[in-house]
Amino acid sequence: MVVVKTIRHLSKAVSEFYNITEQVHGIVEKSGIKNGFVAVITSHTTTGIMVNEALPCVEQDLSELMDKLVPLNEPYLHAHFLPTYGATSNNSQGHLKSALTGNHCLFPVLDGKIVCGGAQEIYLAEYDGPQARKVFVEVMGE
Amino acid sequence: MLIDMHVHPIFYGPICNDDAELENRKNAFGVWKQGPMDFEELFAEWDICGITQAALLPLDLTTTAGCWVVDNDQVEALCGMNPDKFIGFASVDPHRPDAVDVVRKAFEEQGLQGLKLNPAKQKFYPNDPVAEPIYKLCEQENKPVIFHSGLSWEPNTPTKYCHPIAFEEVLIKHPNLRVCLAHFAWPWVREMAMLMIKYPNVYTDTSLLYVDSPEEQMMELFTKDMGPMWFERCFPEQVMFASNGPRFRAFKLKRALDKVPMRDFARENLYYKNALRFLTGKGCNHYGRGEDDPASE
Repeated sequence: MVVVKTIRHLSKAVSEFYNITEQVHGIVEKSGIKNGFVAVITSHTTTGIMVNEALPCVEQDLSELMDKLVPLNEPYLHAHFLPTYGATSNNSQGHLKSALTGNHCLFPVLDGKIVCGGAQEIYLAEYDGPQARKVFVEVMGE
Repeated sequence: MLIDMHVHPIFYGPICNDDAELENRKNAFGVWKQGPMDFEELFAEWDICGITQAALLPLDLTTTAGCWVVDNDQVEALCGMNPDKFIGFASVDPHRPDAVDVVRKAFEEQGLQGLKLNPAKQKFYPNDPVAEPIYKLCEQENKPVIFHSGLSWEPNTPTKYCHPIAFEEVLIKHPNLRVCLAHFAWPWVREMAMLMIKYPNVYTDTSLLYVDSPEEQMMELFTKDMGPMWFERCFPEQVMFASNGPRFRAFKLKRALDKVPMRDFARENLYYKNALRFLTGKGCNHYGRGEDDPASE
């Protein structure tokens, strides 16, 4: 059996880590699936899905690391008019941070619950906000 | 305070209920891969850069394309939903026989505060006699006109209609008409600067982002395309902040402009005072010219 649900979130800042752990656990527990996997997948290319410990200091360190690795003002190529959009691309920083973060995470499901470590929280990482965002949660199993 | 003087509300949720109309808008305007947004999402972006008001621009393409890219009634409705935030502009196709009536209704009955025209998309030269009655009405009603100028990405838009020099005769003939040639008439920045030096009733805006990052393009505009002192010295009351949403994101242009060196008075003018002058005609002292704007009270 497969159950797919969507988490919607309106980010309110250019960059933010939005904790979706409770929502993902809730979807799994209501899915009716006892044993299998859950995949958490962002539908965007300037966001990421990240698993880490939900401490403000960790979030701050991650944010600062991302800015060091991918500074705002670099001579990125992706900063020009895009005919297919009719708009200008200028969000290379978001794309690159997204690529470093990855677009998904995966957890086992046993006895109707996610199996994970006590410090493992799930984030939607926003890198080009504010925007309305969607995350797909797909529970697969029996 | 920050006023965005150039926004196309194509994707504003309350006027996106008709899929076919939305598709027409996207194709006529030449913008894709974006979809309707609600006010919460819109204002989230305003909040991170401090936008307090925005001018909403429709476009009447009745005789050239048989449609509008947002119509006057829709702008009126949006303004009614957020009267403190939205500054509604009207549009009219100058070729339609009832053009003056449409504009008069927009100003006198619908409460719209200015007029938007795009000569390239609407296929008229700015000095075409067909537009004269419209300009005269705007002068009489003390309403400003925003023209598209310079490069237009919209399909089927010959640039010859929007070269800044094509507007000069209008400026000469209508010295009391406040005119904005939008997008700094890019790539004709120096021609735009020439017009601003020569004609105190012409304005422009910062809604250009065609070739570089926001930081690069705004720095090029204010320090290379123009000399680094030109704005402050020569036409500090004639350039307005604008984004051209949904083509360019307002907060990124604002972030880039914050990094351009300029004196505080010039930055205040750029971010909102010039917009207020343009909209009302009040407070225009034609910097260094020793005269008052004839349209001011």
